[in-house]
Amino acid sequence: MAKLYSKSHEWVEVQEGSRARVGVSDYAQKELGDIVFLELPDVGKEFHKAEQFGTIESTKSVSELFLPLAGKIVAVNQAVIDNPALVNQDPEGEGWLVEIEIEDKTQLEELLSPQDYRSFIAQEH
Amino acid sequence: MLFQTPLYPEHINQGAKLVDFAGWSMPLEYTSMLKEATQVRKTAGLFDVSHMGKIEIKGAQAEKFLQYLCSNDIASLQRGRMQYNLLLNERGGIIDDVMVYNLGSYFLLVVNAACASKDFSWLRVQGEKFEVAIEDKASFYALLALQGKAAAPILEQTLDSSVLTLSYMSCGVFYYSDFGSLLISRSGYSGEDGFEIWVENEFARRLWQRLQEVGRNYHLALCGLGARDILRLEAGYPLYGTDMDEETNPYEAGLGWAVKLEYKDFIGRSSLEKLKCKIRRRRFGFVMKERGFARSGYPILDAAGQELGVVKSGVYSPNLAQFIGNGFLDSEYAVEGKEVFIKIRNKPYLALTKKFPFLKLGVKKEG
Repeated sequence: MAKLYSKSHEWVEVQEGSRARVGVSDYAQKELGDIVFLELPDVGKEFHKAEQFGTIESTKSVSELFLPLAGKIVAVNQAVIDNPALVNQDPEGEGWLVEIEIEDKTQLEELLSPQDYRSFIAQEH
Repeated sequence: MLFQTPLYPEHINQGAKLVDFAGWSMPLEYTSMLKEATQVRKTAGLFDVSHMGKIEIKGAQAEKFLQYLCSNDIASLQRGRMQYNLLLNERGGIIDDVMVYNLGSYFLLVVNAACASKDFSWLRVQGEKFEVAIEDKASFYALLALQGKAAAPILEQTLDSSVLTLSYMSCGVFYYSDFGSLLISRSGYSGEDGFEIWVENEFARRLWQRLQEVGRNYHLALCGLGARDILRLEAGYPLYGTDMDEETNPYEAGLGWAVKLEYKDFIGRSSLEKLKCKIRRRRFGFVMKERGFARSGYPILDAAGQELGVVKSGVYSPNLAQFIGNGFLDSEYAVEGKEVFIKIRNKPYLALTKKFPFLKLGVKKEG
């Protein structure tokens, strides 16, 4: 299944069933610059849609990470915590941040398709 | 409105990320400030620092005037040499930190961009009592900084071997038909060997491009202010406006070595004599032992949670692969190896105090 995007520049990719990976978009990592620190939640924590679930710090700034849809954390990518530069290198692949159990799959419909996300960025610029 | 340096078109062509710094549109980074800062310690980097101020002091009493305005001993500053100095107010607070060049027939002050107009007014007012002419020349020149162990071969191949006669903290004027009159010094803000080159505006782009061409064989990196900030903090150099201001005295800032109380009279001297023995806080470095980005303004705590001071600067050091920073600490904690905690988003992160510099520097102090 293709990735879906939020207006706060996170992506969601459904793996199987209601399990999904979440990360930040390539556009976001470019805007942030060198990423040097990630604060991610513990497995088991639950979040509402659009709730802050972590922090991402680049050489330039501190930014909040928002979960694009409600869910429970089922995995955290230790590789990006150990090496935050992975988010710059492969933001929409190996640089994923967390895996969640989606609470309500209908919330996926509220997210942007890759095409819609691209035009959203173009407008923002 | 933002000022642009003569090299602005080069920055645009290179796709630099620009940032507003002290009213100037300056490159923050070209690719990645971490890679840029790494490359300077490996080979070399080229910086546009044309935002720096350039004030010329001429006249029969130029030396006497500077001796009275500056903290360091201008009388010992020989022709063709440069010296780090502080401009102080009557309370002993730091108005700016400046580099003074003795060019024989006149002196040159290189001052921080954000302080340039303040410094100029201060010098003008103080200068009324002396036989001096004070001129702001910044708008006629660009300033390039070429830093790193490959800076010398790159500059030699771009110009000629005469530039190698400059030793650390020396300066001189060199003429080239392609680049006009260049004021070159062996100095910098990275802690590595390197040169700073004042070039007339009309030749600035040509010199920048030529250095880049020659530098290709040395993996010369174009560097922005982000890399400059990382490198100077790794070297333990303070940044005016961030690490110190008019409420900071030289002893707290760790700059007592640039104050010569015993030799001469100067503005701020009597206050400093009284202050010297009563220093309660000092600028000191720390290395994060728990991964966390210590940013300006974050509190520094002891194990019991009592506030010891505040972070002034913090970066991720790519050359140490660690987060580092500096801040003001109670004197008792301003020694190597003390455990302190940086409060980041309400959580304490362990750090160890560390003497400057954070790493071994390549700069050659002598010869």
